Amino acid sequence: MNVIEVQNLRKEFKSYSSRSGLSGAFRDLFTRNYKTLAAVDDISLNIKQGEMVGYIGENGAGKSTTIKMLTGILTPTSGSIVVNGMNPHKQREEFVRTIGVVFGQRSQLWWDIAVQESFRLLKKVYRVSDEDYNRHMGHVIETLEIGPLLDKPVRKLSLGQRMRCELAAALIHNPPLLFLDEPTIGLDVLVKLKIRKFLKEINEQYKTTILLTTHDLTDIEALCERVVLLDEGKIIYDGKLNQLQSQAVEGKQVEFEFLTEIAKNNLVFLPNVQWEQKDATTWLAHVNGDERLVSQLISLVVQKNPIKNVRINEVSTEEIVRKIYEEGMALA
Amino acid sequence: MFYVSMFFQYASQYLKTRLTYRIDTVIEILSDLLFQAVNLIFILIVFDHTASLGGWNREEIIFIYGFFLVPYALFSSFFNIWDFNERYIVRGEMDRVLTRPVHSLFQIIMERMELESLFGVITGLVIMGYAATELGLTFAWYDVLIFISMVLGGAFIYAGIFISIATIGFWSDSRTDIMPMMYNIGNYGRYPVNIYHKVIRFVLTWILPFAFVGVYPAAYFLNREEWYGYAFLTPVMGIVFFSISYLLWNAGVKRYRGAGN
Ligand SMILES: Nc1ncnc2c1ncn2[C@@H]1O[C@H](COP(=O)(O)OP(=O)(O)OP(=O)(O)O)[C@@H](O)[C@H]1O
Ligand SMILES: [Mg+2]
Repeated sequence: MNVIEVQNLRKEFKSYSSRSGLSGAFRDLFTRNYKTLAAVDDISLNIKQGEMVGYIGENGAGKSTTIKMLTGILTPTSGSIVVNGMNPHKQREEFVRTIGVVFGQRSQLWWDIAVQESFRLLKKVYRVSDEDYNRHMGHVIETLEIGPLLDKPVRKLSLGQRMRCELAAALIHNPPLLFLDEPTIGLDVLVKLKIRKFLKEINEQYKTTILLTTHDLTDIEALCERVVLLDEGKIIYDGKLNQLQSQAVEGKQVEFEFLTEIAKNNLVFLPNVQWEQKDATTWLAHVNGDERLVSQLISLVVQKNPIKNVRINEVSTEEIVRKIYEEGMALA
Repeated sequence: MFYVSMFFQYASQYLKTRLTYRIDTVIEILSDLLFQAVNLIFILIVFDHTASLGGWNREEIIFIYGFFLVPYALFSSFFNIWDFNERYIVRGEMDRVLTRPVHSLFQIIMERMELESLFGVITGLVIMGYAATELGLTFAWYDVLIFISMVLGGAFIYAGIFISIATIGFWSDSRTDIMPMMYNIGNYGRYPVNIYHKVIRFVLTWILPFAFVGVYPAAYFLNREEWYGYAFLTPVMGIVFFSISYLLWNAGVKRYRGAGN
């Protein structure tokens, strides 16, 4: 069953530019110059219940704009959206009852009042019964370790503390679908791990569907089987994370650390192998091929030169995505 | 029903926060009182030089002022949306509001309420009481109901005008200074409209109907029968102007673009 169904979704922003000088300002009064920018450009996407999907892309790719349309905040320019069987911006009040939203960049809680007061008010807003609240939130508060923070006003919390409270607040009504826009931005490793573990847990326990954006690809590696890669408003990849890895960069890197300094002509030359010097005794071989080629290369090099250490590097997702950002998606 | 209970939730939250800043609250009430005293003194000074203003005597003008304070107090307790553009659109707080299952305008009214302004209701009643005794006015039991409906009508007229202006923010992100100007124009409704030029009278009656917040409804209680027609239009104008602003608001929300980064 699809929780999110998006077809040919598009969002344009008009940006006005003002002309210079007095006469320019006068002309602006009547006809304003504007440029149209398609922040989200004709995307289609289906997400099934229980999926955790990573939504990634460069700054300005259109991730937040998509999420704002999916959550009913923005009205699309064109295209259709059905989320939880509803049209988000048309049935907004009924719809938002079925989702949870966290924007890492902006607080969803009331700034001046204590966290538990915010929770109490939200509990009323979402009409959650005391029973449901206690059963569900007790566990959430415990797992996120925010018990000691509850009586502090939001503005006095550190970023990591606040983010954990934001996450808890988004879950008060135990929504089946969660949108997280950069939930780990600026957090230290421990808090990140805590949040990831928590998200995994609720995904398993309640089959909560999660769509999250992040610039930290280790979040995606830890959580999402599926990634959607956005570039200038268009989806350029939608599929398994590990397939993205194998498709984007064929092959591996082998790092040889020799006992002595080695000149380039002492290395082994094979088709599909490129050498790069890292320092005096270390060379890096970029191997464009499968394991057999790698093992052949290693055995040949080891026969010729005394070796201190050999390491086979899998190319990290980070590097793959960086490569895609830089060079575009040739494989799509 | 849900909205009524939400109102009490927000109000109790508001009072809790307010109780921790008791001094601020007292200062705010005192400064309101001072402001109202200055307005009264102004009326007294005017009547030092003349016995009547367009056919209205001093006590009648004071009564109108007292009446005006009541709907105005309701308005300023609940409709603090003069900084809506700055706070909710430019800073993107509207994003948060729109992800909650309560009508967005209602949420903003609740978040921005300032219940201490309700003190103005008491001030207004005291001033009206004083003027009524001086004038020897008498009231029937149903006048209470008429009073309530006219006060609500006046508050909704104010609210309708200010909400409509706030919705400009959905269409244009340039800053405007219309808000403070409106607060000034609103004050004209406190004086008998027959002292103004015809055009101004028309504007204050049909375009920016601030006259319905002061002089028209007060005329009913002052037994000025020539104004009764206008007086009884007060609740109708309130409903009409508030409905218009509500429709504008809903149309505006569809145009909301979020905070540009
Ligand atoms: N309210 C707005 N008005 C005008 N342009 C906007 C507005 N909001 C977003 N944009 C533009 O739309 C494009 C996409 O923005 P969006 O915020 O969706 O990017 P993003 O992928 O979330 O980026 P980031 O990783 O920086 O958060 C950008 O070029 C941005 O400048
Ligand atoms: Mg973003």
